[in-house]
Amino acid sequence: MKKFTLKQLPSDNLHLVHPQRFRIDYKKELNAAQHEAVTSVNGPHLIIAGAGTGKTRTVVYRVAYLVELGVKPDSILLLTFTRKAAQDMLRRAAILLDSRCEQISGGTFHSFANSILRRYATRLGYEANFTILDQGDAEDVINLIRTRLKFDSREKRFPRKEALYDLYSRAVNTMTPTKELLAVDYPQYLEQETEIQLVHTGYVQYKRANNLMDYDDLLVNFALLLKQDEGIRAVLSDRYKYVMVDEYQDTNRVQAELVKLLSYKHRNIMVVGDDAQCIYSFRGSTIKNIMTFPEEFPDCKIVKLEENFRSTQPILNLANEILKRGSVGSQT
Amino acid sequence: MYYKELYTCRAGGSMPQLVSTENENMQSRYVVQKILELREQGVPLEEIAVLFRSSFLSFDLEIELTKANIPFVKFGGYKFVETSHVKDVVSYLRVLANPRDVVSWNRILLLVDGVGPRTAEKVIDDILKRRVAATPDGQTLPTTKFWMQFNDYAENVQKLFDVLKQASSQNLAPAEKTFQVLQYYEPILRGRYDDHQKRKKDLEMFQNITERYKDIDTLLTDLALEPPNESIVDVVSPGPEDEFLTLSTIHSAKGLEWNSVFIIYALEGRFPTMRSVASDEEIEEERRLMYVACTRAKDNLFITYPMNVYDRESGFILTKPSRFIQGIGDQLLEQWVVE
Repeated sequence: MKKFTLKQLPSDNLHLVHPQRFRIDYKKELNAAQHEAVTSVNGPHLIIAGAGTGKTRTVVYRVAYLVELGVKPDSILLLTFTRKAAQDMLRRAAILLDSRCEQISGGTFHSFANSILRRYATRLGYEANFTILDQGDAEDVINLIRTRLKFDSREKRFPRKEALYDLYSRAVNTMTPTKELLAVDYPQYLEQETEIQLVHTGYVQYKRANNLMDYDDLLVNFALLLKQDEGIRAVLSDRYKYVMVDEYQDTNRVQAELVKLLSYKHRNIMVVGDDAQCIYSFRGSTIKNIMTFPEEFPDCKIVKLEENFRSTQPILNLANEILKRGSVGSQT
Repeated sequence: MYYKELYTCRAGGSMPQLVSTENENMQSRYVVQKILELREQGVPLEEIAVLFRSSFLSFDLEIELTKANIPFVKFGGYKFVETSHVKDVVSYLRVLANPRDVVSWNRILLLVDGVGPRTAEKVIDDILKRRVAATPDGQTLPTTKFWMQFNDYAENVQKLFDVLKQASSQNLAPAEKTFQVLQYYEPILRGRYDDHQKRKKDLEMFQNITERYKDIDTLLTDLALEPPNESIVDVVSPGPEDEFLTLSTIHSAKGLEWNSVFIIYALEGRFPTMRSVASDEEIEEERRLMYVACTRAKDNLFITYPMNVYDRESGFILTKPSRFIQGIGDQLLEQWVVE
């Protein structure tokens, strides 16, 4: 008698799709590297997209590709640097394919964190109508604490509110002890470390007591929520089965952590960026995220986009030369 | 770094130029003249950008552009929502949404004539005491009833509470709430700022923005997270056809492209900045900035530097081109001198 073995069907239904049935001719409309990036579906991916190499186009086509494959649009999460970037990409995908692409969840890390925190704020001891402090507000609160603790009227110079905000923010974003940052950037205040810590503690308590979150809190509290609450982590990782991050070179440590937490179940994570264009370290972003992605995800596939559609060759030659003269040697 | 080499299938193209000038003003005049030439050749102003490392580096150029009647918009610097009068108005809306927002309370109470820090603190303490009863779940906006509790203050403070009570009505859209707040705020604006006429324009723009929103929470969240009109700081005499040149910091130019790009002040000590020179990591970030700047150009790239700039902080005279381009030969970067 012949035997027939029953196999478990993959739950994502991707086996049902025939490339011939795609509405978009991906091969024709993309170059080889873009095509490879677009049609990479499961598992971790790092797309190194040089300047002017059609990065947005690649993201737009990948979104459309996933939807054509039968991935539910609301299970795709697209995190971008500005909300406008996400809106533009999703609108273009909708024009390219159809309106299903509009149901994709897209936005910035901060707005995504905000939307989740509004729902689960009480789990962290906040109320749902917490107020978001922008930088100026945060500095005002810090100043208030500083004055209350009477650190403003002493003989010794004490850092101003702007410096304190910068210090606290970078300590949080880069997960670096305040003391280390002080030693490097503000050595003149090193001996007042205890007082500086006291103001920080006061600032943290004040925000808690008054239902306030600054920009950093949005990300940190979101990460905290995911870490401490396995149920929520599982729910979110199940809901967003395909996570894409644009401008990955400008993310900070907390954001990289969020990416990992959100995709811990499926590891379907595609990050797109250009290490050569990392220019926001003064806001706590770190080129390390994009450089160490292959260590965090050893099985990741790297695709490089190098064909430029913007500039003439003489301009590109100069740009290539400027990078080549850098002291950080080329790796991969 | 990940190794990569950008290439294009586009044929031809003119060489990027490195242009040195004797001083800052000559650099500005060179840029103005070159822009006019490009325009003669059919490149519209919208397709031209002048980029710089720091916002202050374009001041002299702005004067020359104005003299030559070239309209421009400058990006990078203060944001609309960071201006103090817009922050004032937003604070009223914020206490409507979250009466525990002590920061905003403090701001709007101090705007009331005759209220100092001590009175403000007293009033805030009073508000915090009544909070719990008003929003037991923390989910919904406090109702008009909540605001009715506050009725025994001195006249000046009471006026503020009356406005908030009115504006808190559930039936009012964010735009209507804003309208009421603005009516209350207008005398304050006039009393506090000499240039209130100009600032009033911002508030009109703010009123327009609120029209797009159905609920106040979304409005406030967007203002905090996605500020509108990101960092347009100066619009100078837009021409009759709305044609204008772009001035921008490199940070704000990220992701954008123009037919012709000028990078001014490619001067050691300005770009890279003095401050960054001490750290390898910062120097590499400055280098990437130069890379970002160069890759904004489609057809024409002009890098300029003035040769005689006194740096007040260090006492040095800056004379050398940026280390990122110094020593790159004519085969990649044509060297020009302005006389």
